[in-house]
Amino acid sequence: MTNSILPALIFMIGGFMIPFFRGRAKSIYMMLIPVVGFINLINIPMGDHFLMNFSDFKLVLLHIDRLSLLFGYIYHIIALITVIYILNFKNDVEYVAGFFYAGAALGAVYAGDLFSFFIFWEMLTIGSVMLIWARKTKSAQASGLRYLLVHAFGGLVLLAGIVLHFTETGSLEMLKLTLSGPGSYLIFVGIGINCAWPVLHPWLTDAYPEATIGGTVFLSAFTTKTAVYALARLFPGTEALIWIGVAMAAFPIFYAVIENDLRRVLAYSLINQVGFMVVGIGIGTELSINGACAHAFNDILFKGLLFMSMGAVLYRTGKINATDLGGLYKSMPWTALFCCVGAASISAFPLFSGFVSKSMVMEAAASGSHLAGQKSYVVVWLVLLFASAGVFHHAGIKIPFFAFFGHDAGHRVKEAPLNMLIAMGIAAFLCIFIGTYPKPLYNLLPFAVDYHPYTISHVLSQTELLFFSALAFTLLLLSGIYPAEIRALNVDADWIYRKTGKALYRIFDAVLNPLNAWCERIVRGVAGSTADFFKDAGAKISLFVAVNIWLLAGYRDKHLEIKKQKLYNDILQGTLPAGIGAAVTITFILLIYVLI
Amino acid sequence: MKTNKDKSELMELKHDPVPGYKGIFSVVFTVSLLYMAFILFQPCF
Repeated sequence: MTNSILPALIFMIGGFMIPFFRGRAKSIYMMLIPVVGFINLINIPMGDHFLMNFSDFKLVLLHIDRLSLLFGYIYHIIALITVIYILNFKNDVEYVAGFFYAGAALGAVYAGDLFSFFIFWEMLTIGSVMLIWARKTKSAQASGLRYLLVHAFGGLVLLAGIVLHFTETGSLEMLKLTLSGPGSYLIFVGIGINCAWPVLHPWLTDAYPEATIGGTVFLSAFTTKTAVYALARLFPGTEALIWIGVAMAAFPIFYAVIENDLRRVLAYSLINQVGFMVVGIGIGTELSINGACAHAFNDILFKGLLFMSMGAVLYRTGKINATDLGGLYKSMPWTALFCCVGAASISAFPLFSGFVSKSMVMEAAASGSHLAGQKSYVVVWLVLLFASAGVFHHAGIKIPFFAFFGHDAGHRVKEAPLNMLIAMGIAAFLCIFIGTYPKPLYNLLPFAVDYHPYTISHVLSQTELLFFSALAFTLLLLSGIYPAEIRALNVDADWIYRKTGKALYRIFDAVLNPLNAWCERIVRGVAGSTADFFKDAGAKISLFVAVNIWLLAGYRDKHLEIKKQKLYNDILQGTLPAGIGAAVTITFILLIYVLI
Repeated sequence: MKTNKDKSELMELKHDPVPGYKGIFSVVFTVSLLYMAFILFQPCF
C-alpha cells in the first residue's frame, strides 16, 4: 500500500473544485493540479496499489509498470500544457470536463483489472462528450450525441467481452489476451472503436472538429492513445493489428487532402498516426512496441501542438476552413512558427520528435519478426512509407500552407494570447528536444532500447522521402492538378451509417407507422365506444325500465317523450327524487344479480 | 486591428495552373514511375 493518492482522483476531484476559485487563484489552482499529480505519480513505487474487494472480485485500481508509467507521464504533461492553453477561455464546463476526462484516461491506463478499466473507459466517454457539447453550437450538440451513441455501443461491446472473458477464464487481470473466444474478440472490437479503426472511425472526424478549441486539444491526447495503450497491454503481437494499422495509416491521406476544415484534416491525420502505433503493436517485437509507445508519446505532443495552432487561428479569425484562411503569418508569426514545428515533427523531419519514434516502427516492419513472413512486412513497410509521404503532404505542408501562407485571405488579427503562445512554445520545445536528444524518452519505454535513429542511411532516406513529397505537392499545385478546397461536407465510411440509417428510417416509416395507426384506430374505437356508453349508462338502463312501466301505465307520444326527457336529465344532473333513485338502483342491482 | 469578417466567403479555393508546369509534372511523374519500377524489381525484392 502507498501513502500517495490515486492519480485519477487528483484530476477528477481537483477538476470539480475549479468553479469555487476566481481570477488569478483559479489559473494557479488549475496549473497546480497536473503538477501535484505528477509529483504524486513519481512517488508511487512500481507494482499494484489501491486493492479493493468488490463482491467476489479483487480490483486493482493502480497498477504501475513501465508501460502505464510512460502514458501517465505524457498525460500529465499534455494536461498541464492544455490547461495553460485554455486559461483565457473562462469556461468552467470546459475546465471541469477536461480534468474529468484526463482523470478518466489516467484511471484507465493505471487500472490493474478489466472491470476497473471498463469503469474509467466509460468515464472517458462522459468527459469527452462534455467537451464537445461545451462548444454549445447546434452542430456540436448533434456531433456529441452521435459520439455518445457510438461510444456507448463500444462500451457495451467491451463490457460484453469482459463478462464473457470472465466466464471463460475466471480472471479479470489486465494480461495479454489471444483472439481465441468470443470474449476476447468483443474486447478487441470494443477497444478498436475507441482506437478509430477503419469503418469504425467516423465518430472521430465527425466530433473532434466540433469540440471547443481547448476541448479538441484534450480529445486529441486521450481517447485514441488510451486505446493504443489498451492494445499494447492486451493484444501485443496480434497479427490482425498489422493490417488494421496499415489501413488506418493509408486511407485517411486521401480524405485529408480534399478536406477543407483544417481541424478535420488534423483529425484524419490523427487516425493516420495511430495507424503507425497499431502496426507497431501488431508486429509485437520489443522494438515495435517501443516504437508504438514512443510514437504515442510524441504524437500527443505534436498533434496537440497542431490542434493548438489551429485553435489559435480559429480563436482569432473565427474561421477554420482553408477557403477562408491564408496569409496569417503576417499577423500571427509565432503561431505560424509553432505550427511549422508541429508540422515538421509529424512529418518526421530529422531533429524533430516524429523522426525518432516513427522510424522505430518502420525499422521493425522492415526487419520482420517471428510472427509473420518477411514478404508481408515489405508490403507493410511500403504502405507505411507511402503513408509517411502522405502525412507530410497533408499535415506537414497543407496545414501551415493554407492557414498561414498560400493566398492571403486578408485577415489582419492579433497574435494569439500569451497563455496560448506559452502552451504552444512548451509543446514545440519538447518536440525539438525529443527530436534532438531522444535518450530521456527511450529510457521511459517499456523495453530496453538499443536503437540509434541518427544513422546516415536513415537520415538520408527520410530526407529524400520528404524532399520528393514536397516536390510532388509543389508540382501538383503549380500544374493545377491539386484538388480545390471546397466548402462541403466530405462523407467517408459514415456513408454506410447515413445510408443505412435512411433506409432503416424508410422501412420503419413504411411498416411500423401504418401498424401504429391501425392499432391506434382499434384502441380509440373500442375505448371511445365504451366511454360513450358509460357516460350515461345509468340513465339509459333506467329509461329502459321506466319506459316499459310507463307504456303499461298508458303514457304515449308527447307525454311519454316529456317524461323520458325529464328522467334522463334528472339522472344525469343527480336531481332524481331519493325514492326513485333508490328504486332504480335496486332494480339495477337485481338485474345484475339475475344476469349473473 | 480589425478583422475582415464581413468579406464574402469563398465557396471554392481553386489552384489555377501556372503555364508550363503541366509538362514538367508529366516528365517528373514518368521518371518517378520508371525509377520506382526499377527499384521494386531489384533482385533483393
